[in-house]
Amino acid sequence: MRAADVYAVANKDIVFESFDGEAVVLDLASGKYFGFSDAGSRIWQALSSGVAAPALVGLSAGTATIGLAELESFIAQLIDFGLLAAAPDAPAQPLPGGLLAELAASREPLKVDVHDDLADLIMVDPIHEVEEPLGWPAVKQAL
Amino acid sequence: MRDGTREQAMSHITLETLPDYARQVLAMAEGAAAGYSVTRDVRLPRLDMAVHLTPGPFADAIGRGLVPAGGDRQASGQCRIFIAHPGIDGVAAPAKWGEAQFAPHAFASRLADAGLRGSYFHDLDFWQVYDPERRVGAQLMRSADGFPPWEPGAPLRAFLHWDYAARGMRLAHAGTLGIGGKGILLAGAGGAGKSGTVVAGLLNGLDSVGDDYVLIDRTDEGVRAYPLFSTLKQDPEGFERLGLRQRLKSYGPLNWQGKHPFHIDDVAPRPLPASLDIVALVVPHIGGGGTSSVMPLSRKDAMIALAPSGIAQMPGEREGGFRFFSDLTRHLPCYRLALGTRPEEIAATVSGFLTRGSA
Repeated sequence: MRAADVYAVANKDIVFESFDGEAVVLDLASGKYFGFSDAGSRIWQALSSGVAAPALVGLSAGTATIGLAELESFIAQLIDFGLLAAAPDAPAQPLPGGLLAELAASREPLKVDVHDDLADLIMVDPIHEVEEPLGWPAVKQAL
Repeated sequence: MRDGTREQAMSHITLETLPDYARQVLAMAEGAAAGYSVTRDVRLPRLDMAVHLTPGPFADAIGRGLVPAGGDRQASGQCRIFIAHPGIDGVAAPAKWGEAQFAPHAFASRLADAGLRGSYFHDLDFWQVYDPERRVGAQLMRSADGFPPWEPGAPLRAFLHWDYAARGMRLAHAGTLGIGGKGILLAGAGGAGKSGTVVAGLLNGLDSVGDDYVLIDRTDEGVRAYPLFSTLKQDPEGFERLGLRQRLKSYGPLNWQGKHPFHIDDVAPRPLPASLDIVALVVPHIGGGGTSSVMPLSRKDAMIALAPSGIAQMPGEREGGFRFFSDLTRHLPCYRLALGTRPEEIAATVSGFLTRGSA
């Protein structure tokens, strides 16, 4: 397993909601959206609430089993996206009630899609231009 | 700080000086009250607004671009907006953003911590600042016509967004179609076919309370959409396909987006309804087939179609918007509308969907 076993939501700008078991996460600071598959949503729910990563290895997700490499890759992606951060001092939490059944009933693999078409592109320099199709200025980073 | 130093500091705004500058803009614009020769009293759904300004294109845009509220409206007090520029006695030129990093969320959060709302457009040093507690706002421009090109299509949009958001309502970036008082909300990114669907519906007997932005009120009784802005837009291809060149008595030249602007009254089959009872969230897309169809859509996909542009195009209030649109998406049944090629067939599909009560 990776250096940390327990993770937490990276910061207070990461907000999320669930829709029929599928999570949508918004990074308020960047304006990027993240849409999770059903299995990905369950794992996000578990990790973001402090379930230790090793407790998720070997669980049934639909017709598959969550493997160590698959989980590590998924966690690395969430860390890269700035959604999750290691919380080495945090106590591990038990699996949320119902998670095993929900994970077993999932139909898609662990997956998170980024929707950044309308994200803020003005994080470095105030040189920008109007993004005409949007009907609103999207400020672009200077090249 | 000596006055000269302070003035110098305020000419290039940073996150640190932002709240002070925003208050300064409000005080300056409000204090120059005698310099505004025009007052536009705007009656909108649940909002009366007095806009103080000078004659010119922005005053014209307010006169043309907003839909006066109809029906049994109940306003909850009045807000006052001052449209200021250095041509008015007592109004200084707008400051510039400094060299420091500009991040919209940090900008909005800094102002929110001070109880204010605001936005800034670099190219024109165009400031909009609002105090939601006092319900007073100021727009500060370099000159009377120093506003961004999108502003006339939805004038005062930011102020409306801030005032309605403070009272639990929300401007959604969505189109609407309805019949018999019931309606659908059409969500999706630019180019998905939203505007073309709205115009196709209007030309074939359906109602609408707006295309680009509508006011949404979510209550225990349900979801209602109210009209705010009267402007519709079509790119030249859609303009021809929908027969608008022959149908419209007058229409404007291509706007800053390369689209023809026109008014909803020019194509609506009857006076705009005061509101629509929204019964479904519908995400259109160009189907590629000859006929239209309506299929269920996951709420996650509907949320991702609805929320991003609605939040990105409205300065500040991001988390509130995310929660609002999440609640809306969970409340409404969600569908995907695959668009056929013929406007009357698209309209008939929407009409049939609403009439059958599929929602």
